[in-house]
Amino acid sequence: MATVSKGNPWIFFGRLWLGIAYAFMFLPLAVLVLFSFQKNRFPGFPLQGFTLQWYDKLFSDGTLLNALGNTMIVSPAAATVATAIAFFAAYAFNRFTFRGKTTFLALVTLPILIPPLILGVGFLGLLARIHLSGTLFAVFLTHVVLITAPALAIIQLRLAQMPASLEEAAWDLGATEWQTVVKVVLPFAMPGIFGAWLLAFTFSFDEFIIAWFVSGFQPTLPVAIYSVLVAAIDPSLNAIGTIVFGISCLVLIGLELVLLPLLIGKPEKQS
Amino acid sequence: MTSAAPSPHDLELLSITKNFDSFTAVDSINLKVGRGEFVAIMGPSGCGKTTLLRILAGLETASSGQLYIRGKDVSDVPVNLRSTRLVWQNYALFPHLDVAGNIAFGLTLKAHDKAIVAGKVKAMADLVGLSDLMGRKISQLSGGQKQRVALARALVTEPDILLLDEPLSALDAHLRIRMQGELRRIQKQLGMAFIYVTHNQVEAFSMADRVVVMNKGHIEQIDAPEDMYARPKTEFVARFVGTNNLFPGRIQEIGHGKAIVHCAHGQVQVSTDDPPPVGTGVFVVVQADKLKPAPTGVAGENRLEATVRGREYAGSHNIYLLDLVDGTEVKMTLPQVLPLEINQPTTIWFSPAHAALIRGAA
Ligand SMILES: Nc1ncnc2c1ncn2[C@@H]1O[C@H](COP(=O)(O)OP(=O)(O)OP(=O)(O)O)[C@@H](O)[C@H]1O
Ligand SMILES: [Mg+2]
Repeated sequence: MATVSKGNPWIFFGRLWLGIAYAFMFLPLAVLVLFSFQKNRFPGFPLQGFTLQWYDKLFSDGTLLNALGNTMIVSPAAATVATAIAFFAAYAFNRFTFRGKTTFLALVTLPILIPPLILGVGFLGLLARIHLSGTLFAVFLTHVVLITAPALAIIQLRLAQMPASLEEAAWDLGATEWQTVVKVVLPFAMPGIFGAWLLAFTFSFDEFIIAWFVSGFQPTLPVAIYSVLVAAIDPSLNAIGTIVFGISCLVLIGLELVLLPLLIGKPEKQS
Repeated sequence: MTSAAPSPHDLELLSITKNFDSFTAVDSINLKVGRGEFVAIMGPSGCGKTTLLRILAGLETASSGQLYIRGKDVSDVPVNLRSTRLVWQNYALFPHLDVAGNIAFGLTLKAHDKAIVAGKVKAMADLVGLSDLMGRKISQLSGGQKQRVALARALVTEPDILLLDEPLSALDAHLRIRMQGELRRIQKQLGMAFIYVTHNQVEAFSMADRVVVMNKGHIEQIDAPEDMYARPKTEFVARFVGTNNLFPGRIQEIGHGKAIVHCAHGQVQVSTDDPPPVGTGVFVVVQADKLKPAPTGVAGENRLEATVRGREYAGSHNIYLLDLVDGTEVKMTLPQVLPLEINQPTTIWFSPAHAALIRGAA
């Protein structure tokens, strides 16, 4: 194939196009990482030399780092709770037929379809009334509502692949309902649960609009970045951006390793 | 039931019925299975075989009727507390466990001593020939090996009754025959009652102590394989089992251990100890391999004038299709060494002792 493609101009243009597309995607990231280590106040050439001063500022000031800390509390917690709810809901949807099943499913999915702006205003009103607005707990609650739906979708996708006879076999061998869920359903759903958690975490991690409405004096990272940005262009943002990029990379690699094989279907080894 | 004397039956079904909405999938089934008996259930697709097994296993609740296992009413015992085990057609093995984990599943639920579990699992693996594969993943097993794991997983829990739903249907013919022998050996060795659903007549007849033929949710006949084959009791069984010819007719005369039946193509004689009264509508049933070319120049009973219409090659023998004078189609199997010419008239006959009577034709 490689020999054939050499002479074909279309293949050449195709590759060029691909290169340009990738450049558009990754150049900003490269610039971000690069300037987080440069003395320049504004991103521009010539480069003025290597420095760690922005990281230093970041760590001594603490606003952004604090926000990162908040996010690292809220997002894993919200992802965990949402995934747990999603698993049991997906299990119920998969196993039982009951009145109002479709209505219920629609209700769970609704938050993801409503514009976050409207949700944010709604949440703010509700949470203020029950004296929860402006707390990290409020962000946690709203995020759980928001990210349960995509987690549910992924886990349901996995559970739908489970033949009904698998659970029946466990019962037949003497397992109780609960033993069957723990020993058969949970291990089967595990790739889906893992993928759902990562996706829920990512959703919560960079969710801005609703968090902006309800977080108050305990901002999550996207909210804090926005606050810094409106004040002035501060190269510390490059530093926090680089740190966040590092975290995202880890999460994304996890997603690719776990979720993609699940959706595309794992190649099974044959004997 | 009183608990004093142990029941002579492993399993007893009293008019078990299952309705799905208005559809009756299983229709007042009565069946007794003796200790350690091997019972095969046959019947056309959709006749309720799987539903019946699921009722026995407790996966489905009967709409009415009673179910006793070793004399104990288990109608209200949930699936996980029944002393039955089901072997699924698609095996239903646990993909996240290896072979040893699958076999041990039922035992570990009861939190036995680990050493005892390991010992039982090993003994069972030896019995079904899996000792070398204990660490394999399920996805790395062949169909026959999966079948063995499914069997071992059920047997190791020492059930009173093993239920098998077309357990060998996914295997190739060669492997199926080998597994048939092994299943029968294991069943004898353990002395465990097997209820064995199959579509394969040869399998049912060669393995089972008794065969049950089902049709549209009810039982048509329960009999030992030889009896089922030689003396089908209903028109359905006669058409379903083996290769039979059915001649509709009416009883004309009875006596001297014989009945004379008037059929469309003439009179036939059938040996019978228990003939239906004169005038009853009946079918005369003659197996395809009991029809013979008639010896020439000798007069005798049950001679049929026929024309040879076609021949099907079936290995050691041929199956001939013939038309009688009235147009009735007849099947006759003959060894290869006795060829018949196509489109030639011929005379065939059968002995009255080789024919059976079934009530039913109008
Ligand atoms: N859950 C159910 N709801 C409604 N009808 C059902 C249900 N399960 C089975 N049936 C019906 O009951 C009848 C018997 O089904 P069953 O699976 O017992 O047949 P079977 O004899 O095992 O057939 P096969 O040889 O094809 O496996 C079928 O007509 C089927 O459509
Ligand atoms: Mg079936």
